[in-house]
Amino acid sequence: MERSLFEKYGGFAVISRIVMDLYDRLLEDDDVGPFFENVDLPRIVDHQTQFVSALMGGPASFTDEQIRRLHERLDINDAHFDQLKVLLAETLGDHGVAPEDIDTVAQAFEQRRGLVVG
Amino acid sequence: MSIEAINEQLLRAIGVGVALLDLRELRFRFFNDTFREWFGDVEIGQTLTDLFPEFDVAAMRDAFKDSVRFTTEASFRLRRRTMTIAVTIDSAEEGGEPIAVLVCQNISRIKELEAMIDSYSMMVERNTREIKREKEQVEKLLLNMMPRSVYEEYKSFGVVTPRLYEDVAVLCLDFAGFSEFVVENDAGVVVSELNDIYTAFDRIGDQFGCERIKTVGDTYITVAGMPDPADSASSSIANAAVRFVRYLEQRNRSHPIQWRCRVGVSQGAVIGSVVGVQKYIYDVFGPAVIEASQLRQLAQPMHIVGTRAFIQALPDPCSSEPVGTLDLGGKEPEEVFALTGRLDAAEGA
Repeated sequence: MERSLFEKYGGFAVISRIVMDLYDRLLEDDDVGPFFENVDLPRIVDHQTQFVSALMGGPASFTDEQIRRLHERLDINDAHFDQLKVLLAETLGDHGVAPEDIDTVAQAFEQRRGLVVG
Repeated sequence: MSIEAINEQLLRAIGVGVALLDLRELRFRFFNDTFREWFGDVEIGQTLTDLFPEFDVAAMRDAFKDSVRFTTEASFRLRRRTMTIAVTIDSAEEGGEPIAVLVCQNISRIKELEAMIDSYSMMVERNTREIKREKEQVEKLLLNMMPRSVYEEYKSFGVVTPRLYEDVAVLCLDFAGFSEFVVENDAGVVVSELNDIYTAFDRIGDQFGCERIKTVGDTYITVAGMPDPADSASSSIANAAVRFVRYLEQRNRSHPIQWRCRVGVSQGAVIGSVVGVQKYIYDVFGPAVIEASQLRQLAQPMHIVGTRAFIQALPDPCSSEPVGTLDLGGKEPEEVFALTGRLDAAEGA
C-alpha cells in the first residue's frame, strides 16, 4: 500500500507543527484572517487539524458535501482561496515538504475550489 | 545603571505580564510592557474589572482570607486570536498599603495545542472504530469461507498449511431437477430459494457440529470431524442428513416450489487447504469427498445413500436397503445402501 504524505513526513508529530504554523499564518493574514474573527478557538483548531490531515492523507476525510456545507455561509471568493493556497504552500515548504509533494497537496486543495468559493 | 534600574528594565521586558494594583480598589498602579502589549488599552488608575469584566472579585477576596495567593484563567481576543492567560494574584504590602501583585502567563499556545490534540484524538478514535468495524466484516467473511481454526492460522501466518485429516465424515448433497429449475425460473428466485435452504442447512449442521465447506450451485458439502477429530463424526453427518431431508419435506408442504435433495454420506481421509492465490477459497478434497459425491449420484430424490461400513458404524441403529453397487476403488464393486428408517435421535426433531 502506498504511504500517504502524512506518514511520509513523520505522522502527527510533524503534521501538528504544520497545523499550528498554518493556524498562526491564517489568523495573521488580513485576507483570510477575518473569516476566523468570531469563531471559537477549539473550532478553528479542529478545522485546521482536519484540513491539513485530510489533504495529506491522514486520519481525516471530508466528503464533498461536508466541505460545501462548512463553507456555504461564508462569503469566500477566488482571491481568498488563492491566498490560502499560497499560505498553505509556504507553510509546507517551511516545514521541509518537498516541492512535488506541495504540488500534490495544492492540487488536492484546488480540486475543492468549487465547493468552497461561493 | 543601578540595580533597581536593571530590575525595572527586566521587569518591563520579561515575557510575563506583571501588574501591581492597590488591593482596596483594585486600581492599576503599574504594569510592564508585556502586560500593555496584551491589554493595549489599559491605563494607570483603571480598575481590574474595567479590563476583565468577568473577573470574580469575590472569589479572590475569599481566597485571600486563608491564603496570600489566588489563581485563575482569563481569555480575551487579541486581534483575531483567542488569548488565554493564567493569572496569579499575590496579596502583599508596600509602605503599609495592601497591594496585589498580578502575574499573567500566556498559555494560549497550550490551549491551542490541547484543542489540536482533542481534534486529532477524535479523528483517530473515529478511524479506529471504522477499522475495527471493517476488520470484523473481513473476519466474518473469512469465517464464512473456512473453519475458525484455519482462519486463526491464516491470520497468524498469512498462509494455511494443507493438512490431511484421517477420519472425516462428509455429506454431499444436490437437488433433483436443478438444471430445469434454473432454466425455468428467474435468477433472483433461484438464488433466494437456495439462500433460504442453505441457511437452514447451515443452522442444522451447526447443531450437530458440522462445518459447511462450500456450495457450488446446487451442490452442498459439509463435513464433521475436522479440524478437530470427533468420535461422533459419522453420527453428526447422518443426523444432519436426515434433518436436511425432513426440513425439505416440511418446506415443500408450504412452498409452491418443491425441492428434492439427493444425499451421499461417507467417511475417510480428506485434505483441507486454502486453494488459490488471488481468489482463494478453503476447500476439502480427497477420497471421502469423492466417495460422498459418487454415493449421492446413486441416491433417489429425498434419499440418503452410504456404504455398508458407514451405516453399520452409526451409533444409532437405522434400517437401510440396498440401492446398487458402486466401484469405490476396492477389488470389486461395493453394494451401497439408502437409509430408510429414522435415526432414533432424529425422532421428534
